[in-house]
Amino acid sequence: MGTFLVGMLGGYVIAAAAGVFIQDSGLFGASGESPVARTYMLGLLQRDPNSIVGIRPNQSIAQRASELQAADSSRTTGQIQPLSLTYIGGATVGVYSVHIYAVGIRNAQGVDQFFPLALTVYGGKVQRSE
Amino acid sequence: MATLSLFAVGLLGGVVLHVFTDKAPPENPYPALPKVEEPRAAHDVVAAIGAGDAQALSRQLDSTMLTDLDTALQPIVDVRTTKFVGAVESEGRLLSAYVITGKTQENIDFVVGFVLRVANDQVVGVN
Repeated sequence: MGTFLVGMLGGYVIAAAAGVFIQDSGLFGASGESPVARTYMLGLLQRDPNSIVGIRPNQSIAQRASELQAADSSRTTGQIQPLSLTYIGGATVGVYSVHIYAVGIRNAQGVDQFFPLALTVYGGKVQRSE
Repeated sequence: MATLSLFAVGLLGGVVLHVFTDKAPPENPYPALPKVEEPRAAHDVVAAIGAGDAQALSRQLDSTMLTDLDTALQPIVDVRTTKFVGAVESEGRLLSAYVITGKTQENIDFVVGFVLRVANDQVVGVN
């Protein structure tokens, strides 16, 4: 039973490592995009802070309430309209991975904006967004 | 022999388990822009960063962009590798993205991503 479990653990780790390598190298058409990073970006663009609570560093209750307030206000006034979301690329080094996106939005004044966001993912959470 | 077989079956089981637990990214409901080639101006800036050539960098970026670059590279103080990961263009505005690996002040390996904004064949911003 012990041998089986060790083998299973080894297989899981090998498959995970191979997955990261394939994603980063772009083999077999893999984009390298992390599900965590994509979920985070969609939460931002859809102004749904609740959907990304579990994948970013913990915030105080006041910070979360303030963010929900801003998202509600933004949704009701239709201040921002997402135009495009493009995953440009990323890389993994050890336990850290970086994922870079280009975002196109139309603001409340009708002006189109085009800007990048680089996310650093560590331990299944977005630790840094800039 | 039996032990080896048991290990092999376990290994296979681990791979299968990973396949079922590894989630694909959720669907992107927004349009994605097509990728373009790395702009020459951005390539030159990143080459200077990779070579540690502060002299060249000082000629390529103004003081505001150098400050932004410093912020973008934090906490890396010693750049080891630079990698172009892609570029996209929207209405003449180009975003060229890079991943930098290096060491922090505490000698810890770290990775950061940053983007150079390019317009009219010139780097006009750092994010």
